[in-house]
Formats: sequence, structure tokens, C-alpha cells
Amino acid sequence: MAIRHWRVKDRYYRLIGSRCTECGAECFPPVYRCRKCGSEKIEDREMPQSGKIVTYTQLHEPLPGFEAQAPFYLAVVELDNGAKMLTQLVDSTDESVKTGAKVVATVRRARVDGDSGQITYGYKFRVT
Amino acid sequence: MSRVAVVGIGHSRFGRRTDVNLGELAFESIKQAVDDAGVDRKDIGNVVVGSAGGWYEESLPAVVVGEYAGLSGAGTMRVEAACASGSAAVKAAYNSIMSGETDVAMAVGVEKMTEVDTPTSVELIGRAGSYTWEFENYGMTFPAYYALYAVAHMKKFGTTQEDLARISVKAHHYGSMNPLAQFQKEITLEKALGSQMVAWPLKLYDACPLSDGSASVVLASEDVAKTLTDTPVWIRGVGYSSDTANLSRREDYVGLRAAVTAASKAYSMAKVSPREIDVATAHDCFTIAELMAYEDLGFCEKGGGARMVREGETELGGRIPVNLDGGLKAKGHPIGATGVSMAVEITKQLRGEAGRHQAPIKHGVGLAHNIGGTGHYAYVTILSRD
Repeated sequence: MAIRHWRVKDRYYRLIGSRCTECGAECFPPVYRCRKCGSEKIEDREMPQSGKIVTYTQLHEPLPGFEAQAPFYLAVVELDNGAKMLTQLVDSTDESVKTGAKVVATVRRARVDGDSGQITYGYKFRVT
Repeated sequence: MSRVAVVGIGHSRFGRRTDVNLGELAFESIKQAVDDAGVDRKDIGNVVVGSAGGWYEESLPAVVVGEYAGLSGAGTMRVEAACASGSAAVKAAYNSIMSGETDVAMAVGVEKMTEVDTPTSVELIGRAGSYTWEFENYGMTFPAYYALYAVAHMKKFGTTQEDLARISVKAHHYGSMNPLAQFQKEITLEKALGSQMVAWPLKLYDACPLSDGSASVVLASEDVAKTLTDTPVWIRGVGYSSDTANLSRREDYVGLRAAVTAASKAYSMAKVSPREIDVATAHDCFTIAELMAYEDLGFCEKGGGARMVREGETELGGRIPVNLDGGLKAKGHPIGATGVSMAVEITKQLRGEAGRHQAPIKHGVGLAHNIGGTGHYAYVTILSRD
């Protein structure tokens, strides 16, 4: 668990995704071949920390380990550069969560490893 | 081009099957299918077992099932395409006949999901997408994936929770006529709408259950099929496709692109149009999935799914009856068995053996729509009487 997270820590903690140097398309999570033009000339790129809700749900029946958060919002967010990511929405009122609403990234505790008690942090989003 | 026919069908009772082990459960449908085909076991050259696995103890289900059913010696493998594993098994068995390797092959779908507790099952299914980016940190569940589609569909096309609930009521209505179904009781619209919220707007009655069950088909080449039966049902077209693991990579959330592609390939191979489909099964793991299937299959225009529900066009007596066996919702959804179960149901319908839930057969063509994951895999199979 720990090593796996260490390998992707830039992606988890700094939202590092990919940018195609041929066509300029940006995406998250990272890829090694551009999904738009097929080029393999890819560089790391920090994603913008704001975007809008594409679609969402409120989860009432959570998985083990997520009970304390329930009910919570999950959403597909389109960042300002066009990259989309799936994420949780936090600190947002029920009335504010809707398709098209503007959101910004915020670092939060993501989960606690059941065996070691190790805490993983990561990005979530809140409605502005 | 030579052809391949379904010449034997078998189907176990679906539900919580603590009374049997994996081999026994598979055998229930294998025996029926072999007897129905009237084929000698030694002539079956290939046995393809569709099973997603993870919940039962056996790690090599194909050989366990093969030994118990007296099929050891035949070529065999287990195939996985999540909830479309059964259709993948049918496709692999079909291929082995079309390629000339064998004249007779079997597809067996089997799953025993209730060997683990419900939270473990839900977690296993929840991992079906992108584990690292969507499951681990955010706690995505399978109902939540489809709920993302439901919210987008409601927003874009005005589909309502009541439209979705009507699909559940329909499934239970036909499930009540199917003695092999997990749920054989009718439900009311109020009960569906008032059921426990799982992932808004999807409620308990929008979701299929966890199930144990098996289904089997015997397939044969054209020459052999004609010696075995007067009522072969031909596999006229199989289309299959896939989509991204990450839901965030999808272009939109109002339909499944893999299903559209698979359908288009199947129609083209079978040389039929959606208007010629007499009866269909649609992959209703959630009610929204069935509604999107109407659109993805071209039964109506994009966004017309809710209208088809409101006008009863997919009920018995409607334009294209869908899921007259109760669907995944009421019949049950033992993941690997489902695709084969769909082939069994369509074969029964085309043979005119569906009893109380028999659809009128005009063109002699039926369709099975089977999805793995949240549109991660898609298989569309078209069967016909001639």
C-alpha cells in the first residue's frame, strides 16, 4: 500500500496529469499516449484546481471504510483545461450541488488504511 | 458462410443457492442443455465457462464444472468480461465452431456470489472500474457509477425517478411468471419509489440483486444442427466493444458508447434493423441501464427511452417487449450466468416455448444486450429462427 502511494504521490497530492506536446490536450489521470491525437510525446502537467460539475450522485450506501462520511457526493468534474476527473464533493450544501456548478479543489483526508492506520490524503472538490 | 445454431438450452433456478456448490449449480443447466440438444458428451469439443469469479472458493471454475458434468477432456477455458462474461462465453464457443475447430461447443455461465457477505460483494463490484483513481480514495460503488448516468440522463432528457421505477415494476411483473426467477412477486410503483436510497436517484428497487445461478447453451455447426433439431435458433450476429476503465474518460453520461458500437456491429452482421426485433433482453443491472439500452440499441431515438416506458412499448403487447423473463432485476444477476441466460431466454421466445410470457414472433428475430461493468464491456447478440 505505502509504496504504491509513494509512486503516485505527485498525482495524488499535486494533481499532476498529462499534457500532449503535439496537440496540447491535457488529461487526468496521466496517460502515456495522447487520447486525442495518439502522440506519445507526453509531459507532466499540473492540473488547474477549478472546474465545474458534469454529473454527480449522493451515495447513501457506502463501502466499508467510508461509513463515517455517508451520505456523501461523488461527481465527475470537468477542470478548466477540459480534463475530467472523478472525485468527491465536500463542504457543499445540497442546494449548491448541481450540474454546471463551479467547484475548486481542496486537500482532504482520503482514507485510513485498515491495517497500518496510515492516512492517505488527496484532492476533493467543493462548490464555490 | 457456414452458420452456428443454439440447439440446446438449460437454466438453473436463480437466487441464494446455499443448497449446491459451484459444480452442482453449473450441472443443473448443463444437464438440461445437453439433454435438450440430444448430443453425446464426447462430441462436445469445446466448453467455455463464463464466470467473473472472486466470490467463490474455486480458482479454476472451468475444470471443476467440467469434471462434475462429465465433460473433462473437452477443450475448455474460463472467460471474463465482468457482467458480460456469459455473452463472451457464447461468443468464444461460437468462434470455435465458425473456425472449424469443432462442430459442437457449449457455453456455460455460472456465478455463486452469495458465498461472500454483501459488503464484500459490493466492494468487489465497486472495484470494477479504475481501482486507483476512482475507487480507492473516493469510495465509488457500482450503483454510484450508474447513478452518475441517471442524473445526467434526467438532466438532459427529463427522465424521472418514476420512469425508472416503472422499469422495476415491469421486471417484477414478468419475474412473477418465471418459476426460475429470484423474485417472483409483483411490486407497486409506490413500493419501488419508496424504497431505500442507495445512490441518488437510484434506490434499492432500481438495482438488481446479488445472485447464484447458472445457464448453458449447446451450439452446433449448420450441418450438425440440422441432424439434432427441427428448431435450431441461429446466431445471426454478435457485436462487441469496450470503453474506458475510468468513468471520467467517457464523452458523456447519457448512454453507453460500447453498447452503441456493439449494437451497430451486430445489426450489420445479422443484416437486420432494430425494427425487425420481435423480443429483446436488456442488461438492467439498474433501471437506468435498461432505459439507456432502448436508446443505445436504436429501439427509439436518443432521449426517447422514458417515452417508451410511459407508453408501455417494451411490455408484452408493446412494440418491442424487453426482459419478459424478469430481467436482471427480478430474475437475478449471477454475473457470469447472465449473458447465457439471455441467450436461453431469446431461444425460448423464438422457439415459442416461453409460456405465459411468450412474445408474439413476427420477424423471427430476437436480441440480447449484455453489458459488463458500467459499459466497460458490451455484447449484443442477435438470434433468429432462420
